[in-house]
Amino acid sequence: MSEPPHKAHRPSQSGKKAEKKDVAKGKDRSGGSKGFNEKAFTSSSFRTANLQARRTAEKDQKRLHVPLVSRAPVERKIVAQFGPDGKPLPVDTASEPPPPPPIVIAIAGPPGVGKSTLMKSLIRRYTKHSLNEIRGPVTVVSGKTRRLTFIEVGNDLNSMIDVGKIADLVLLMIDGSFGFEMETFEFINVLQSHGFPKVIGLLTHLDLIKKSATLKDTKKRLKHRFWTEIYQGAKLFHLSGVLNGRYPDTEINNLCRFMSVVKFRPLIFRNQHPYLLADRIQDLTPREAVRLDPKMDRTVTLYGYLRGINLSAKNASVHIPGAGDLIVKTVERLPDPCPLPTLDSERRRKMGEKGKLIHAPMSDVGGMTFDKDAVYVNVMGSFTRREDEEEGVMQGEGEQMVMDMQDVKGTMAEGLAKSNIRLLGSSTKALAVQEAKPRERRAAGDRRRTTAFVPEDQDEDDEDESDEDDEGGPAGDDVQDEDGDEGNFADSDDENWELENMTGFQQDGPSQRELDIEYDSADDASDDVDDFDDAPWRSDLRDTIGGDDDISRRDIMSLIYNSNLSPEEIVHGKSVQHNTAKGEDVDDMFTVSRKAVQSNAVQNTTTDQLKQPVDVDSLRQRWDDEDMLEAIEYMFITRPGADGVDGEAYEQAEGDFEDLEGGEDGDEEDEEQHVQGSEVPYIGKGGTSMRTAEENKAEALAAKKEALKRKFDEEYDDPDAEGEKMDFYDEQKAEMARQQQVNDAEFAHVDAETRAQIEGYRAGSYVRLEIENVPCEMIENFDPSFPIIVGGLLAAEERFGYLTARIKRHRWHVKTLKTNDPMIFSLGWRRFQSLPIYHLDDHSIRNRMLKYTPEHMHCHATFYGPVSAPNTGFCAFNTLSGSVSNFRISATGVILDIDRTAKIVKKLKLTGVPYKIFKNTAFIKDMFNSALEVAKFEGANVRTVSGIRGQIKKALSKPEGSYRATFEDKILMSGKLRSL
Amino acid sequence: MPCDLADYEVSFLRLIEKLTNGTTIEISYTGTTVLLHPGLLPGGTYTHTCPTSRGIGYFLEPLVVLGCFGKRALEITLDGITGEEGRDLSVDMIRTVTLPHLHLFGIEDGLELQIKKRGAAPLGGGRVVFRCPVVKSVKTLNFTSPGKIKRIRGISMVDAARGVLNRYIPDIYLYTDVYKGEDSGKSPGYGLTLLALSNTSALHSAETISVPAPSSTTPASFDTLASTTSTQRFQTPEELATHAARLLLESVARGGCVDESHQWLVLLMMVLGPEDVGRCRMGALTPFSIQFLRDLYDFFSVRFKIAPLDSPLASNAVADSTATDGEAAAPNGEEGGESSSEASENEGQVVLGMQVNEVKRAKGEEEESSGIRNGKYRPKEFMVSCVGMGYGNINRSAA
Repeated sequence: MSEPPHKAHRPSQSGKKAEKKDVAKGKDRSGGSKGFNEKAFTSSSFRTANLQARRTAEKDQKRLHVPLVSRAPVERKIVAQFGPDGKPLPVDTASEPPPPPPIVIAIAGPPGVGKSTLMKSLIRRYTKHSLNEIRGPVTVVSGKTRRLTFIEVGNDLNSMIDVGKIADLVLLMIDGSFGFEMETFEFINVLQSHGFPKVIGLLTHLDLIKKSATLKDTKKRLKHRFWTEIYQGAKLFHLSGVLNGRYPDTEINNLCRFMSVVKFRPLIFRNQHPYLLADRIQDLTPREAVRLDPKMDRTVTLYGYLRGINLSAKNASVHIPGAGDLIVKTVERLPDPCPLPTLDSERRRKMGEKGKLIHAPMSDVGGMTFDKDAVYVNVMGSFTRREDEEEGVMQGEGEQMVMDMQDVKGTMAEGLAKSNIRLLGSSTKALAVQEAKPRERRAAGDRRRTTAFVPEDQDEDDEDESDEDDEGGPAGDDVQDEDGDEGNFADSDDENWELENMTGFQQDGPSQRELDIEYDSADDASDDVDDFDDAPWRSDLRDTIGGDDDISRRDIMSLIYNSNLSPEEIVHGKSVQHNTAKGEDVDDMFTVSRKAVQSNAVQNTTTDQLKQPVDVDSLRQRWDDEDMLEAIEYMFITRPGADGVDGEAYEQAEGDFEDLEGGEDGDEEDEEQHVQGSEVPYIGKGGTSMRTAEENKAEALAAKKEALKRKFDEEYDDPDAEGEKMDFYDEQKAEMARQQQVNDAEFAHVDAETRAQIEGYRAGSYVRLEIENVPCEMIENFDPSFPIIVGGLLAAEERFGYLTARIKRHRWHVKTLKTNDPMIFSLGWRRFQSLPIYHLDDHSIRNRMLKYTPEHMHCHATFYGPVSAPNTGFCAFNTLSGSVSNFRISATGVILDIDRTAKIVKKLKLTGVPYKIFKNTAFIKDMFNSALEVAKFEGANVRTVSGIRGQIKKALSKPEGSYRATFEDKILMSGKLRSL
Repeated sequence: MPCDLADYEVSFLRLIEKLTNGTTIEISYTGTTVLLHPGLLPGGTYTHTCPTSRGIGYFLEPLVVLGCFGKRALEITLDGITGEEGRDLSVDMIRTVTLPHLHLFGIEDGLELQIKKRGAAPLGGGRVVFRCPVVKSVKTLNFTSPGKIKRIRGISMVDAARGVLNRYIPDIYLYTDVYKGEDSGKSPGYGLTLLALSNTSALHSAETISVPAPSSTTPASFDTLASTTSTQRFQTPEELATHAARLLLESVARGGCVDESHQWLVLLMMVLGPEDVGRCRMGALTPFSIQFLRDLYDFFSVRFKIAPLDSPLASNAVADSTATDGEAAAPNGEEGGESSSEASENEGQVVLGMQVNEVKRAKGEEEESSGIRNGKYRPKEFMVSCVGMGYGNINRSAA
């Protein structure tokens, strides 16, 4: 028995020694940038190559979707701002762009399936809080960039509809031991007709199935049923049993992990409307008024994260399902009650604290919420001071505050009066309290609000004005200032400038900028000062600030939106007299209509004409002036301005060839011009004294050549110019990204208040909406287990009209639908009842009315109701009550058209009787009332009951409305006749 | 006291009623109260005879905006005065200037205005056909670089305007558009419409139209018009043309990317755009535009950010416009009108510019006041931006 041969020695291919050998042999294994294994990057067989090519093609196509702009803020980490001392600054919630709103996760399912248990488990997983009773939405922080709002959907159809319109992700719970229930299918159908958010299925109660074979079968069966409803391969999780009142941690962990990476595609309807899931509602109506009239309309405030697009700051109209269309009186951005963790907040967090990662005002969660009306503190136990207890124990921030409040001696105003707050660390004097004017003054629109704090010394005058406006009162700022927290005011050069603009005041010192351009007369700048003294708002402001005379800047925005000066006054300055008094204006370019401007009160008569009156003489004077003519030469392409490159663009645009060496063009007119130009070589008259025309020309040519060269280089040196390679999809994406950049950049330096005025309150901010005239039922019947949704309406959606829809009776709805039977529509944000008339398009000639909806086919329905944009989906119900055992969704469809009138024709069947019969002819009566009617129907087909066909021929004179008709056979006297 | 409705206003209301479905208009007995519930715009073909107390421009201006938001394309024939001095845009101006402004917002194909007949004041007799396509939504505007004027065009009966404008640019072409016989309307008249086009297709325009001599047949409104506006009657067509040319220079000198009499149009379309930030550089706002801004706020609750171009806010915006457009943006307060990287190369020029400045300074204060710096007239410009309200054409049916 011989030993098997030894394995041959295989020298090491890698490692120190191999490298040394490689170096010695001069072998390069790096293979350039691709790595040394050439085989790894190409396929040896055509089959693999084919597969690879197909895979890449597939991947390439799969990523393509119709490009949709998402209006939601992008998820990003909140990066701490660092102050000059290296310490992180507190995040300024008012000006910081809001992070995206929490993702709404709806937990739906039939009763007893384990919705509350799941919610408790999830909340426990994220926050370590064990909630006993969950009421209303619960918001938790799930990571550095993401927050989640959980909401339980009851078994009630109304709440299913409402939640279906706002949920981003639905956790659809299915009782594994029972199977799907009707409500689950109803809910899925509601979701489908309102945009279909992401759905994750959860099978529960699987522990009730004892036999493992049955369990396997059940899982498979339910999975496939679920897939047919959602899509093939939709995620379905299994939750086994309940441990300690919660689902097993590992299963919940898996679910959470999946939820944290879920991506959302923007839904069109939600991308066009602002909306909000209210997590808190407060009745502000005076108690006494309610006592006197319990049914009076209420004033309520609603709180929640804004979603969708921006909510207009002025008179936004909203719809609250169940309460109707309402106007938002005020919107206010509040500090985020459930902020994303920042570096700073993490540092400050104490070990013992669990982190305030939960916000559930309707539930019994510990925590504290601030807002304008009150501070809400939720703690276990009583709020009274426990003298006997030792100090050091317990007490979160909120609890501590409540305890401290019991020590307070005076009111806040008293406290303010006594306090001496300095605006800046360097301020010499403290702020003094002056009368704080009521908020209504601003609403009146004619005056600017004055500030409540006015520094005694004039130096540091204007820093805080806008801030004060933001907070809607002194209180907010005050607290901050007392903390010695001046982060808001640090390095605010830009804001400073803007503040000047807003207030019309400048700060002394180096930051002052000259107003360079005044195209009015020389005196205008100073005039403005004088003029604006006259304006009431101006003097008012000045009084408050204390005699700052240095006003040279007028901010056009505040003049337009916040003053009641007439447009002419804004354009030309306040008064006319000043200018005329100053003697002759050299060029009063824009003084033309000053004569028309006489008084503030009188509306000028020229508001409906576009052309402004022109003063011919001054115009002639102005444009006869050689300097002026020369001064705008740079605006023309042929004339290089002071900077030589200007001329370049001309060639670029025209694509002409210009002989740079040759000098003048042949054109006669040009020659003339250049001769003129050579006297004044591009730079005005004064230049000739220094250089000769020749030199200038040479220089201009050189500059031109240089510019051309640069252009050439740009065009040909850059081989991977991006425009060429991008396909349509990429182009759209790039364009969207570019627009997003513009959107972000445009208002970045504008203060929060102004910004909200311009672009509305942004999605993701936590706001408080004050709404008046809310029906009292909303408060009286308030139940936190029903969601409160505030859906913003677009301008067109407040009107009523006839909506034409493509509609199909749901295949599971047992009855056919009949014209004019009332139905409840869920369309847009609304649920309303209307009377649809069904009809079919008859060869695009007419819309023929149908009495019943056709089986298995779409038809049209027209109904009167609040309009929604075409292409909006809806579903309709005969009843919403829970007592019905049938499938409640009667129909689904989509809006096609909106109009004030709709033309639907109905087929009429008329009957008549013969009164005289000849061979094939008969005289018919009782079908029409007049000869005119008969004339209209001449040639129409008629038929006897027995089926003999005929035609209307001509009206007869004798009994009014009778006519002669011919038939294919002799008809019977007893036969009744029908028109076709 | 003209506090009741003028006949042209009634006519306009009737026109609106005609063009819409479901509009109800109640005019009180005294004509001092109007209650209007607007309906929807079905589009289609219409004809309307405008009264001679106002030009066709008055009726056409709103239609230009409304037309594209109907169910179907709009085609409307308007009879009346095609152009009059001092009040409304002439149809030439609407055709050559207003419609190109709509192109900025993606309303292009099928947008046209045909001038079938001309009709001067006072008797009119002109006829135009306006056609407008339907759009789903308008595009967001981002127009921040006014560019340089590259050509000047005009529709005229006179050639004298060239004298004033020739010094700037050789590319001037004045198209003489004379209608003869019946097509020339019922009363004699002439006019000149000028427009200057920049290399970034910014438009500036001006026009002058002959004012009819007062006579017994002239409606009273024209006498009052001639007296209230300070427009003089020009003795010769040449004078009129020179005036128009000066007006064009004036318009160009005001700067901005859009014509001053079309600021309203651009502002309105910006408001109606998608929920993105639209930006536009404009010359000094006219009183009309300011009133329009206020109306926009009342009606749509949309505010504009209006930043003077010399402010850091606006210059920030300009800077990034130069970055994106690759086109040098603009003269702002500082020297580096084109771009700062150019400054070193053009040092010689800059020096010269400063010398010019010195000379000018010697000339006295009035130079400063006229807005001329370094031999350049710097107009007061604004960067106007707003977030669109996301208006979609809800009239347009989905099927």
